[in-house]
Amino acid sequence: MSTVARNGRDLRLPFVAVLAALAASLPWLLGSYELHAVIVALTFLLPAYGLNLLVGYTGLLSLAQAAFFGIGAYVTALLAIHFQTPFIVNLLASGLIAGLIAFPLGVPALRLRATSFVMCTLGFVIIGQAIAKNWISVTRGDMGLESIPRPSFPLGPFSFTVSTTTGFYYLSLVIAAVATLAVWLIVRSPAGRNMVAIRENETLAESLGVPAWRYKIIVFMIGAAFGGLGGALHAHYLTVVTPLTFQMQYSTTMLVIVLGGGPGTISGVIFGSFLFVGLSEALRVAPELRMIAYGLCLLAIVFRFPRGFAPLIDRAWRWIGGER
Amino acid sequence: MSAAPLLEIEGLAKSYGAVRAVDGVSLHVDHGEICGLIGPNGSGKSTFFDCATGLSQPDSGKVRLDGLEITGWSLDRIAREGRMLRSFQKTVVFSALDVEENLVIAGQMFAFPNVASTFGIGAAARTRVESLRIQARELIAAAGLWEVRHMPAGNLSGGQQKLIQFASMLMPKPRLILLDEPMAGINPKLIERVMDSIRYANRELGVSFLVIEHNIDVVTSLCARIVVLDQGRKLAEGTPEEIVVDQAVREAYLGG
Amino acid sequence: MFWTLVEQVLNGIVSGSVYAIVAVGMTMIFGVLRAINFAHGEYYMLGAFGAWVAVEYIDLPYPAAVVIGILVTALIALAVGWLIMQRIVGATAETGVLATLGVALVLQNAVIFIFGGSYKYFNGGYIEPVTIFGFMLAEQRVLIIIVCVLVFLALEAMVKLTWAGKAMRAVSQNPLCCEVVGIDVGKVVLQTFALGACLAALSGALTAPVNVTVYGGMGEIITFKTLPIIIMGGLGNVRGTFFAAMILGVAESLVATYIGLQYRDTVGFATLMLVLMWRPHGLFSTRARF
Repeated sequence: MSTVARNGRDLRLPFVAVLAALAASLPWLLGSYELHAVIVALTFLLPAYGLNLLVGYTGLLSLAQAAFFGIGAYVTALLAIHFQTPFIVNLLASGLIAGLIAFPLGVPALRLRATSFVMCTLGFVIIGQAIAKNWISVTRGDMGLESIPRPSFPLGPFSFTVSTTTGFYYLSLVIAAVATLAVWLIVRSPAGRNMVAIRENETLAESLGVPAWRYKIIVFMIGAAFGGLGGALHAHYLTVVTPLTFQMQYSTTMLVIVLGGGPGTISGVIFGSFLFVGLSEALRVAPELRMIAYGLCLLAIVFRFPRGFAPLIDRAWRWIGGER
Repeated sequence: MSAAPLLEIEGLAKSYGAVRAVDGVSLHVDHGEICGLIGPNGSGKSTFFDCATGLSQPDSGKVRLDGLEITGWSLDRIAREGRMLRSFQKTVVFSALDVEENLVIAGQMFAFPNVASTFGIGAAARTRVESLRIQARELIAAAGLWEVRHMPAGNLSGGQQKLIQFASMLMPKPRLILLDEPMAGINPKLIERVMDSIRYANRELGVSFLVIEHNIDVVTSLCARIVVLDQGRKLAEGTPEEIVVDQAVREAYLGG
Repeated sequence: MFWTLVEQVLNGIVSGSVYAIVAVGMTMIFGVLRAINFAHGEYYMLGAFGAWVAVEYIDLPYPAAVVIGILVTALIALAVGWLIMQRIVGATAETGVLATLGVALVLQNAVIFIFGGSYKYFNGGYIEPVTIFGFMLAEQRVLIIIVCVLVFLALEAMVKLTWAGKAMRAVSQNPLCCEVVGIDVGKVVLQTFALGACLAALSGALTAPVNVTVYGGMGEIITFKTLPIIIMGGLGNVRGTFFAAMILGVAESLVATYIGLQYRDTVGFATLMLVLMWRPHGLFSTRARF
């Protein structure tokens, strides 16, 4: 009998337990370069979660994620450099500001039909990059903002600063775990069910009283907030931000993570971000070869695996377990 | 019961370019009534439905629900605040979701006071969803779909999907349901079942109906009053007996 | 003062012509496929690279190099069209976006992988200045304007007079009906796609001498320039695309002169977003296809 997976059901307890154990012991298993790759994967996981809420759950294809990623990175950099605010403040402010900026951008954009909407979201990235390049008094243009301090936690006598790769790994892990919990709660809530209804059939959902437009703008803002969080983490990790933080390539990467991993699932996106960012980073593939691989993956997803590669893994997993 | 009819539509008009799809139609549905709406293809029935339910906006005319003017409201607001629901001819269910989820979704916006509260994760939200689930299971059992309640709705037969759609529309405890060709494309055995469901909802749950239907036997047996549209205008109105012998109606269907 | 303005408008018309030749192919492809081709700029890049290879490695004269550039692109476009674009017929908008993004990534990075990502000097074309109505203009720029006008006249004639052109128009209006009356939609899609890619290649090969350099990432920039043009031009509308391209070319040139060069590449998307707020379906009708 074929049954339907309900929202968030893919995140089963054994999966979470295995993941947590593996994650905690990773610094002992990996070299520092591989650990770096994992950190990048965790950083990209956040905007990918946001995009998944949009494209995977609500059915809105957006290329704007890199714009909010960039906004988050710049907000963090400016706060940390000019006001020496602690990490947690930067992180939350980045998410908040990216989410708020998404409102005036989303209101006109979400009125557009599919193609024009995609184009408009692409425009956000391009215009964001132009602002970062040209608002020199604030962003220092192409030189970018440098020496963003390492994350610090001023907790009185327990104050500490995260300065090692291992430390940063655990920090990103905690943030990723909190983000996973947040996404899980959102998609399991009644709102998550309404989002899926909008994805499946907007008019039918509206005829049952679901205010599709309000949900779309809210999800667009939440998605942007996740993008901003990712950008903040990225800025603190690299300690520099440049206008290239706003790049189309990032939006494409995030799209490949979500669609390749498994849109509308949480485990799929985790899998996707490790496969498409972590693994390729760890294997030190030449950037152009990696981009060719991304392109081929996109084509494979569109024509062969419309539900992403995660179901394949699921099948392999069950086959190992002896199920048919 | 208030004096005003439940649904009152006055002089509704809608044009697409030069075509006057609906040209000043007035119609009312009384409390507790099952009213039929018939007419040849292209007579403007569907456009009339769309304008009355907020799917598209009429060029002129007024729509009042229980005395409250709802002209210009959006589809979702009319459903949510007016508890006036409508069905569609083609789109019937959320195909990828299972039957139970279909019904829970249908009830959600009526169990939660606003959008913000639907993001709720606490015990209160869970209790609300749980009671929706109980209500959904009762309706599923009553519709004879218990065995398939965890199947994706899209995998079921056309008739079963219509039953799911009908059960979904009962989730919000509606006052009025507008059905757009509920019998189209379902087998004769199921027609009887859908008719029983409509009668049951009307009698036991106090739901009023406005039904577009081509199957004339269904309309005459269900409805106490029938309105006939032709070329965007109201051609006739009366009891089934009056309508079947009406000369103008016969001409509209057979010739002209 | 006034003469600077006229000169900048003239420059704008040259870049408008470059965009127009690329965008018209993209908009025709949209017409038959209902899909935005995110890889379209890559055919512009392929055309320019093909010509560069012909000049650099085979020592061919410039006109022959242009032909080589177009031929190479045509072959690649036929392969892509046969393997990918034909399958997009009737699919959702998302499918088109993702598939063509995939193609763009593969083509662009394959060229960078083979030839390296650096800027390459393009040695060819007619860069001698000529004087027209008192203005100095490189011959190549004049050539671009002339070719653009010819391309549009030829397209109008083709759509009106030839069977293939009529079939393209028919498919862009209603693919389902075409199947019924026996037009091979897949074939028309392939032809339109190849034609559009060749036009982009022509534009690339013609512009290379003016740009002086070619590089792997040049197509992406052109894609980003032409995307707003075809939306503003009313997706699928050939004449609208022509005017939108000219407007953007001139606007870019004026912005570069009077506001700042660094804002030039943002003009397209900024204008697009303003236009979409005002008219969600573009400046020109999407009904008047071809």
